[in-house]
Order: sequence, then structure tokens, then C-alpha cells
Amino acid sequence: MLAIVDMRISNLRSVYNALRRVGVEAVLTSDPKVVGKADAIILPGVGAFANAIDYLRLTGLRDVLLQRAGRDGVPLLGICLGMQLLADISEEYGETAGLGLIPGRVVRLESTSADYRVPNIGWYETRPRPKSVLFKGLKAQPAFYFVHSYQFVCADPAHVAATIQFDSRPASAAVERDNVFGVQFHPERSQDHGLDLLESFARHVVETGQLNRVRRAV
Amino acid sequence: MTKPRLIPCLLLKNGLIVRSERFRVHQNIGNPVSTVSRLCNWNVDELVVLDIGTGDTHDRRREDHGVRYKGDSTTDVLGYIAEVCFMPLAFGGRIRSLDDMRARLAAGADKCVINTLAVHEPGFVSRAAREFGSQCVVISIDTLRHEDGRLEVFTERGRVPTGMAPTDWAKRVEDLGAGEIFLNSIDRDGTGRGYDLDLIRGVADAVAIPVIACGGVQTYEDFAPGILEGGASAVSAANIFNFFELSYPRAKKACLDTGLDMREVGLNSRWFPREPFYDREREDALIAERLERAGKGLGPTRVMERRPLTRFCARCVYSSASASYMEFDEDGVCMGCRTAENKVEITPRVWKERLARLQEIAEWARCRDGSRHDCVIGVSGGKDSYFQAHVIKNDLGLNPLLVTYYGNNYTEAGHRNLYRMKEVFGCDHVVVYPSVETLEKLNRLGFIVMGDMNWHAHLGIATTPMKVACERGIPLVIWGEHGEMDLSGQFSMSDFIEFTYRNRLEHEGRSFEWNYFVGREGLKASDMAIWQYPSDDDMFRVGLRGIYLANYVYWEANDHLKMVVEKYGFEQSDEPFDRTYRRGSNLDDMHENGVHDYLKFIKFGYGRCSDHATKDIRAGLLSRGQAVDLVRKHDHVKPRDLGRWLDYVGMTEKEFDAIANTFRDPRVWSRDDSGAWQKDNVWD
Repeated sequence: MLAIVDMRISNLRSVYNALRRVGVEAVLTSDPKVVGKADAIILPGVGAFANAIDYLRLTGLRDVLLQRAGRDGVPLLGICLGMQLLADISEEYGETAGLGLIPGRVVRLESTSADYRVPNIGWYETRPRPKSVLFKGLKAQPAFYFVHSYQFVCADPAHVAATIQFDSRPASAAVERDNVFGVQFHPERSQDHGLDLLESFARHVVETGQLNRVRRAV
Repeated sequence: MTKPRLIPCLLLKNGLIVRSERFRVHQNIGNPVSTVSRLCNWNVDELVVLDIGTGDTHDRRREDHGVRYKGDSTTDVLGYIAEVCFMPLAFGGRIRSLDDMRARLAAGADKCVINTLAVHEPGFVSRAAREFGSQCVVISIDTLRHEDGRLEVFTERGRVPTGMAPTDWAKRVEDLGAGEIFLNSIDRDGTGRGYDLDLIRGVADAVAIPVIACGGVQTYEDFAPGILEGGASAVSAANIFNFFELSYPRAKKACLDTGLDMREVGLNSRWFPREPFYDREREDALIAERLERAGKGLGPTRVMERRPLTRFCARCVYSSASASYMEFDEDGVCMGCRTAENKVEITPRVWKERLARLQEIAEWARCRDGSRHDCVIGVSGGKDSYFQAHVIKNDLGLNPLLVTYYGNNYTEAGHRNLYRMKEVFGCDHVVVYPSVETLEKLNRLGFIVMGDMNWHAHLGIATTPMKVACERGIPLVIWGEHGEMDLSGQFSMSDFIEFTYRNRLEHEGRSFEWNYFVGREGLKASDMAIWQYPSDDDMFRVGLRGIYLANYVYWEANDHLKMVVEKYGFEQSDEPFDRTYRRGSNLDDMHENGVHDYLKFIKFGYGRCSDHATKDIRAGLLSRGQAVDLVRKHDHVKPRDLGRWLDYVGMTEKEFDAIANTFRDPRVWSRDDSGAWQKDNVWD
């Protein structure tokens, strides 16, 4: 079973619908017991970092996520805020500790040019790292839909799976570390490429033997 | 940098997508879910849906339509749109509170579009931005350019002036926390005069947040200047995306051709196939339920607490329950009559310009090396077919290929007319004749599933010419008139509407595509090849367009009939029809004016006689009183051809009546205490 973690802060139906399209029947849940049994986890989110972390801690979801994704090797995909939550620390409104599943800090996007505005909203071409799992089989520089004001700066550049060019500097668009993945953009709103990417995640889960039970016939 | 976006804008009014002109005139185009699904086939950058309805109730009409869902509130409809929408979705209209916003975001919107409320209560913009983030807050600014050139912001869908200049208001909402501005031009809306570039430039220069330009687009080439000259971050339009085949990919290509760095043209989406997916279990259950109700002699599945009063046009005999979605103006006159009026008002000089446009298209399509025909004409062999061939072959001098879908039910006169065409016009003729076994099955299934045995004919006629053209690399198909435009004024004469897959599926097929029937009565995909429309990729490659002749030359069916009888020996029906007074229409199918049309009466309470009488009122040939008398005589008649059809498909009249009754539209029919069916009549 694939669980979409519902932090009660945003609409997750689009993520659920997108997974259905790629042949994965997911469960929307905020129950730590259900997440604890999941064969794969998606952590979506829009909103403030600190609120989300508080919610995860208070509900016990934080511990479950650390156990399952951090120690049991269950595949986890963070989307947008969900990706930022994977970091050690966020600088959004003071410092807040994240899940620490991928070393790094979440810092504000800075722009010196009128061509780049914060929040950064719109379609960007991404540059994937050659060996990325998520981007395997996708077209060379797929464009995705972004909505964000903060970016994830990885401590280890090897964890950066894809970048965009923002104000003449690269900003991370995706991160990967073993079984833990994150994308800054919204695959569920990025049409064909977005669904290709979700399919890549689902395929990875199947290939690593975690998710034999969640795959419907496509 | 972010890529400039090309954004279709859909106007949702009381449950249907509408066309808009100067914010005043609205014609119904169709179902929002099928419309959004079609856009999703093309990897659209983003979508704006504006609910301009007057209440929270959304009536999709037509109980026989294939797109069905429960619930009729704004958030219900939005929820179903969101299910087929995998691009960013901005939703606006009638937002009055943070709770309204929250409900729309929860139902699947990514952003909310706010207009009137922001003007009345500017503090709301800040509260909304604080609560949901400024990326969620799109402020829509409707502007009017006065005759002296002054620009002014209006609210309430362009009705109430505010005294504010658009640049001032834009700066103000940016300060308040708006994330984007949707800038619309009231005086350009639906007029096809191109963007008001000065307006766009002024606002884009005044603010740092993205500006989406809208209003006035007529051609694909009108988009790029909004970005290149106007400085907008995104360009949008409503009507054009409803009018033409592959409108979005073709508009995208026009933008890319100017060098704009947009996302690529996305065709033949891997994840969003054009042909709908049918949940087999759910569809089987619906059919089983219908047959069970029929077996018990019960009526329609949907019951309305109180049947609404049927409204009739003040000029013609059409009603608010008409099969093609009807809309009335403030004087109680239907949009079909208004469109007909506009047609009559077109001056000879303008008709000459229209003909020149047609000649231009003809030259574009003309084959220079003789490797193919110049164009395809879909012909049934009827009076309109003769008229089309006359204009295209003899007036335009093109070498057309005649293409016919032969549905096995021709009248004798109709059959003779069809095969006379290649002789009197000296044209090549391709006749596509499906297997009779398949036709019998589709007659039966069409009747049971949607109360229409002629689904095969509607879709066959709408598919065959396009398919043959595409297969032979012929870029032009010339149709006669657009049925819904003529009957209910669905589009305007200024739109130069063309043939689209969406219109075919939704109106000809009622959202039942060929694949719906695969696996039923043993039908295989290969049995349905005739009904399979060419792929988007193939159409894009061939550059296929299907134009309507009635947009370019004056179209009056009675005149055509007279001309083609005299000039080409066209025959009218040997005997009169039971259900209409005309003898020169629908000779290609003995049931089209008969039992097929009787089902229209069962569903919507009127029939072919109302169609013909309406056309003849508009042509000045009948008074409304005369028309009403004819309608009274013909509309309810159970026709003689029913017996032939029952033999054809192996059904009894009792079974037929019982199933037919399940299709009675609850907006039209109710039962009195004795169980008899009642409706409002045009003569009441």
C-alpha cells in the first residue's frame, strides 16, 4: 500500500488523482499506524514549514517517517514543502529543525533581477543528474510547474538530483538519497512529465521489492 | 526564467461552458468536464475557469449525456473538473469569503481568482494572501476603454464602473499581497480585435507580479504580441479555444514560431488519452438499472421534486429544454433566432469578403501536383450535400472527394440521390458501408444506452470524412452548416467555427466514444474502426481543418432545395413523413425523421417538426401561429417506421416503449395522478 500523508493543510486530491492515472491506488491518511504499514510514502505539502513539522511531531507521524524511511528503507517522496521537510533545518521564519533525512538547509530564494521573482511561480526546464532514479526514462530537460519561495541546499552535492537555473545560479529541483526522494515542483500539476516522474517513483518502489501489492494493472 | 504561459480560460455558467461576447451575450458550448479533458490531452500550461453563473446550482441538462456526476453545486462541478485536470487550475467567480476560497481550494483549485470582492473590500486581498499565500490569490481586473480612450476598472462582470484606472488598482492589489493579475478587456471580449496592448503594457510596467492578458484574441498570431509587446507573463483567451480543432497546440506553435521560449507542443499525451475511459462496472450497473426500471414500467431514473416551467422562445417554437443547449436573451428571444438575425443582417459586401476568405482557404488546400484530391466533402446525398458540391466543384473549381457514411437505412429516394451525385458533379466518391451485423448491434445498444439508435449515424457521419481526408493527406474537409449554431445559436457568425473532436464527441456522440461499445454484444475494437477518429498527431501533421460552408456563403435550406431540384434532378421523398411536413430533409435515414426523432419527443418534448418550423419562421416562410399548428399536428406522432426498426433489431413495441420512458427528461415530463405523462406545450 502507498500512503499519501495528509497533514491537513492542503488539498491532496490532485496527488491522489495523478497516482491513479499512473496505475497506483494510494491511501490518503494522517494515521501514523497506516503510514507505519505503508510500502511507500508520499509526503506532499503546501504552506509553512514550522506548522507542518509541528503537525508531524504532535501526531506521531514524525517518528513513524523517521523509522520507516530513515531506518527500514521504505521509499519516500516529498513534494514541494514535503521535499523541504526532508532537510535538517529550515530558515523560514527563524530556524526550525526538519526530518533530517537528507542533509541540508532550506533557505530563502534570493533574486537580484526583475526577471526572477519570489515566490517563484511557473514552468521551468530542469537539468537532471545523469544517474537520477526519478528522472530515469524522462526526456532530456523536462519542464515542471514550480510554486515556492524557499529552496533546499544540500550539504552533499551528490544528493542533488536535478536543478533549475534561477537568477543565474542553480537551485535544486529534486533531491535523492538512497530510498528518500524529494521534488520542489508539483508533478501532479505538470502534465505528462509530471506523471512520468510519478511513474518512475512507482517503478522504483516495485523494482526494490517494496510495493508488490500497490500496483494495479495499468 | 519561467516560461511564458499560454492559458485557456473557460467560462462556466450554471453548469455549462459558455461563449462570451462583450460580457453580455452567452451561448452554451458544452460540458465542463469534457472540455477540460480535451485541454488535458494537449499538455496545457495552466487553466483558468471562471464561474459566471447566477447561482450555486449547475444544471448540465440532457439526462442522456455520457458524462454523469452527482451533485450540482459549484464545488461539486469544480471537484469533477479537478479530477481530469493535471495542470495548475485557477478558479474564480462568486467568491465572497475566506471560506469560499477554502472550499474551492479543497475541491481542487490551486489558485482563486477574485474580482468584485477585492474592489468592495480591499482588505480581503491581504487576508487571503496571509491565509493561503499570495500564490493562491489572483486578482481579476476587468477594464473598459471609453470612447475618449480613458481606461476604467469595472466590477460585477463588467456592469459597475469604479472610477479607478487599471494601473492604480493593479499597484494597489500588488501592495495588498496579490500574487498575479488576470487582466481582461471588456470592450475587446469576444470581438476578435486582438489584445489592447497599451492596456497590458501599462499594467505590466506598473507592477512586479505576473500579468495574464485576456480579451480580444481572434487568431493564433494574436497571442505572442501580448508577451512580446505587452510585457505580459502569460496570455489567455476563452472563445478561440472552443472554436477550432487542435486550437491549443496550434496556438502554441504560433507562439513558438515567434521565438518565445514556451513549453513545447504536447500532443498524443501518454497519460491523458483523448478517448474517454469508461468504468465498465459503473456503466454496466447503469444499463442494468435502466432495464430493470423499464421492466417494472417505471420512468426516468432521475426525478425532480418539481418540474420547472418550460420556457419557449418569443419568436420561434424552441424551448428551454431543447436538445441543443438553449439560452435566451433579456427579451426572451433564443440565441438561435439572434444568430439567424445576425446572418440576415450580413450585407452583400460582407458576404463577398466571406467568400474571399473561403477562396483563400480553397487555394491553401488546392493540390498542385495532382497527388491527392483538394478537399473532402462529407455527403449524405441530401439537398445540402448537393449544394456543397455545387459551390465547391462549380464555384470554387476545386476537385473534391465525396465521402459518405452509409448507415444501411437510406430511403429509396435518398439512395438514388446519393448515387446520382458522382454523375451530375463528375466527382470521385468513396462510400463507407459498415457491416450490417455491427450496425444492428449499434442500433440496439445506442437505444438502450442513450435512447438513440442513430448514435452510429451521428458519429459515423462526423468521423468518416475526417478519417478519409487524414488517411489521404487531404488538409481540408468542407461541411455544410454547424447544426447547433444554426438551431440554438451556439456560436456567432463572427466566430468562423470549425469542426472539432470535442464537439463531435460531446454533441454528436453525447460523450459516448467508439470504445464505449467494445466488449458489448461481442463487438471488438476492430469492428469499430469506422468510428475511430484520426489521431491528434495525424491531424496536426496533415494540418487538417474542417470548415463550415455556412460561414462563408449564405445558407438557406429551402433555396438549396429549389436549386438542386431544378439544376441537378434532386428527388424529394416519395411519400410524406409522419413527424414533419418537409419532404426534402433527412432522406439518408428512414428513421431519422421517424422513430429516432420520436425519441427526441420522448426525451425533450418536441421533434423534427419543431426544428423545421423554427427554421422556416427564421427564414420568414412561416408565422409563429402557423408553426405552432404544425407542431401540434406532428410533434407527438408515433411513426410508422417503428415496425421496421423493431424487426431490424429484434425488439417488441412494449419493450421499446418501456425503455424509451426511462429517458424522459424530468425537466420536461411529469406524471399526473393517473400516471399519464404531462409537459408544457408551446400552444399553452
